Amino acid sequence: MNRTLTTSRHPTGNRRSLGYGSALVLLFLFLQGCVTATVDEMTFLEPTEGIGDSSVVILGRRHAPDYETEFDFIECIGDHIRRGDNSITVLHELEFINMMYPWFEPRTAPLRPQDIDRLLMQEPVANQFTDIKLEYMIWIDGSTIETNSSGSMTCGVGPGGAGCFGFGTWGNASDYEATIWDFTDQTEVGRISANTSGQSYMPAVVVPIPIIAPVQGTACDSLGDQLLDYLSATR
Amino acid sequence: MISGPNRTIRLTAAAAVALFLAACGAKQVVVQGNFPKPLMEQTPLTLGVVYTESFANHEIYDEAAGREETDWLVKTGDAQVEFWDTLLGGMFTNIVHIDSHDALHAVEQDIDAVIIPYVEDLQYTIPLHTNVKVYEIWMKYRFRLVTTDAIHEHSDGELTYDPNQSIADWTLSAYGKTPTAFLQSDEEAVNLAAVVALRDAGANFATSFHRVPAVIEWLETRNAITEVPAAALNGDSSGTPDEPEGASS
Repeated sequence: MNRTLTTSRHPTGNRRSLGYGSALVLLFLFLQGCVTATVDEMTFLEPTEGIGDSSVVILGRRHAPDYETEFDFIECIGDHIRRGDNSITVLHELEFINMMYPWFEPRTAPLRPQDIDRLLMQEPVANQFTDIKLEYMIWIDGSTIETNSSGSMTCGVGPGGAGCFGFGTWGNASDYEATIWDFTDQTEVGRISANTSGQSYMPAVVVPIPIIAPVQGTACDSLGDQLLDYLSATR
Repeated sequence: MISGPNRTIRLTAAAAVALFLAACGAKQVVVQGNFPKPLMEQTPLTLGVVYTESFANHEIYDEAAGREETDWLVKTGDAQVEFWDTLLGGMFTNIVHIDSHDALHAVEQDIDAVIIPYVEDLQYTIPLHTNVKVYEIWMKYRFRLVTTDAIHEHSDGELTYDPNQSIADWTLSAYGKTPTAFLQSDEEAVNLAAVVALRDAGANFATSFHRVPAVIEWLETRNAITEVPAAALNGDSSGTPDEPEGASS
C-alpha cells in the first residue's frame, strides 16, 4: 500500500463560546507555529487480527557518526501507540537494550532482519526473546535539526522591573524513517517515513511570547498514527 | 559586628566572588552509570582480574588551552572497575579479584588465567572544541591475559607481569557520544558519553574475546571454546572511529 499524506497546522482561532479552560487551550493552539508534515507508507502483511499477547519494541538507530535518533522521540511514539490501543504491549526501549546487552548497542545491533537468526544462536538471547514474546521490532532512523535562525532580542533589568525587546525566528526539520521487522518470519514488512518542518517565532515587547512549531511532536504523531494503523486490530 | 547595609554589601560581594571563582574552576566529572550484565553463554573459566592502581583510579586532566575554555577533570576509575566487574562476571563462570601476591597464592590453583586491563588512552571532545553539537569520548584499552606464574609483586606492592609468560595481549577501542540537549550541563553530557563508551567497550570485548587468535589457541587447550555469533557483530562498520579528530586528551 502506498499512501502520501500532507497535513498542516495553522494558528487559527475558534469562534465558539468556550469556558476558561478551553480558552487556554485555544490560546496554546494559537501560539503554535505552522508545521508541514509528509508521511509515506509502504507496508505488507498487516496483522489484521492484531498482535494478541505478543509484544513490540521500538528502537532508535544510533550508529551514524553525526546524529542519533533521540530517546525521547522513541518514547513519544511508544506512548502514542499505547494511548491509541492499550492492548498492544510496547516494550520500553532502554529496558530492552539493557535486557539484551550487549547485542543492541550501536556496534552490535542487527542491521538486517537476517541477522536476528545469528543472534538466536546464543541460547540465553533466544530464551529472552521467547520470554518477552516479541513479534515486531521497529527501527526508527532520523533526527530533528535546526535549519535556520535569525533575529535579535535585548533584555534588561532596572530598578523599575525587567523586560525584553526584539524578535527571533528559527526553523526546525524532522526526518524519520520507521522500518518494521516481523521477528518471527525475520523479514522486513514495512517502511514508513515522516518529514516535518516548521518555523517558530519569538516576538518580545517587554514579555517574550514564544510561538513554537511542534515539529518533532508532529513527526511523532504522524509516525505513531501510521504504526498504530498497522499494528492495531481495532483501527 | 557588621550590620545593616554593610553586611548586605559584603555578602553580595562574597557571593559575586564565589560565582566568579566557580565559573573559573575546573569542570569535574566522576563517571557514574548503571551497567547491565551481559546476556551470553558463560565461558567455563575462572579468571583472576588485576585492576592496577592506574586503572582503578583512572582519570584525565585537560588544562584549558585559552581563556574561553575551562580545565576538565574526568575520573573514570570507579566506573571502570564497576563496569568490568559486571561484564567479566557475566562472561566467565567465575572471576576473582587479585590485589596482592598473597591473594594470588591463595587462589592460584583455582584460576585458569589472569586478565589485566589497562586504559592506554582516553580522549574527549565537547561542542566548544568542535562546533558540532555532540559530546564524544574515545578510549583505547589494552588487555593482557597471563598465566598465574607470570604475576610478580613489585617492591612498592604493585603487581607486575612477565611478558614472556603472556597468553595473549591485544587492544580494543571504544567510542561513546551524546548529543547536546536542552537543560543538560557539559558535565552531565560528558558523563553520559563516557557511559556509552564503557558500554561500547564491553560490547567490543564480549564479541571479540573469542576471536583473538592467541586466546582461541589457549581456549582450545583448555577445551573452553564458546560460540559467539560472528555475523551478529557489525564490528568496525558501526561508525566507531579509531580515533576522533581534534579530540582532547
